[in-house]
Amino acid sequence: MEGFLFWFCGTLMFLGGLMMVVQRSAVVSAVWLVFSFLCAAGIFALLSAPFLAVMQILVYAGAIMVLFLFVIMMLQGPVLDGERVPIKKGLWPFIALPPAAVIILLVGWVKGEGLRSLGDAPAPGFGTAEGVAQLLLGRYLLAFELISIVLLIAIVGALVIGKRERKLPWK
Amino acid sequence: MEITLTHYLVLAGAVFLTGMVGFIVRRNAIIMMMCVELMLCSTNIVFAAFSRVHGDGGGHVFVLMNFAVAAAEAAIGLAILVEIFRRRRTVNVDNFKALME
Repeated sequence: MEGFLFWFCGTLMFLGGLMMVVQRSAVVSAVWLVFSFLCAAGIFALLSAPFLAVMQILVYAGAIMVLFLFVIMMLQGPVLDGERVPIKKGLWPFIALPPAAVIILLVGWVKGEGLRSLGDAPAPGFGTAEGVAQLLLGRYLLAFELISIVLLIAIVGALVIGKRERKLPWK
Repeated sequence: MEITLTHYLVLAGAVFLTGMVGFIVRRNAIIMMMCVELMLCSTNIVFAAFSRVHGDGGGHVFVLMNFAVAAAEAAIGLAILVEIFRRRRTVNVDNFKALME
């Protein structure tokens, strides 16, 4: 059962990501990305992290992607111009370089380490809301407080950047 | 066949690769940002997988941190994008050559 769910969610997640990359329309891309994130939530559930699965759907597939869809629909119109221009021939080796590096690393790692088991079933309470909360407000309290400052700065930054006015001195 | 840690890592690597290729090949800035989100999501899977292997919930906490960072990145990045679109009427990154104009 676990095997079937892994292959189901994993394949669909990968295909969703692939469709996101190849789609021309930004809205269709965003919807495929939401699909991919939902399958990622399934993967989290398989890894006995039910709280993360819920947060993945709420925060990622919900909040962040809605923000993306809002912006895409706000900017609709000449958004896609120039996408049809082919990439210059001489650039292809440079484009292929980073993905090739990742593939070589991955294949090398799998060859060297072989299959490594996930180990025993985790202790009860692992990955539930209570278990994560104990860590978040205990061992990782400082990181938790700092991330709230990051979010606050992001809010202020987005407000400042998005504010309309600007009589630029050099215009 | 038993599903091992390696399966999860290869899945995360494949998804990361997809996002990376998309980020390099696409020229629509919004889709490039969505590719970054996909890459962040694949790293979250690695965090959760190793957290499961070690039986330690610390990885889950860092996935939550990653969610917050992704949200901040999306908010700031999209705000910058909207501002650029107001001035240039395009989100094609080939046309972004100067930061200040």
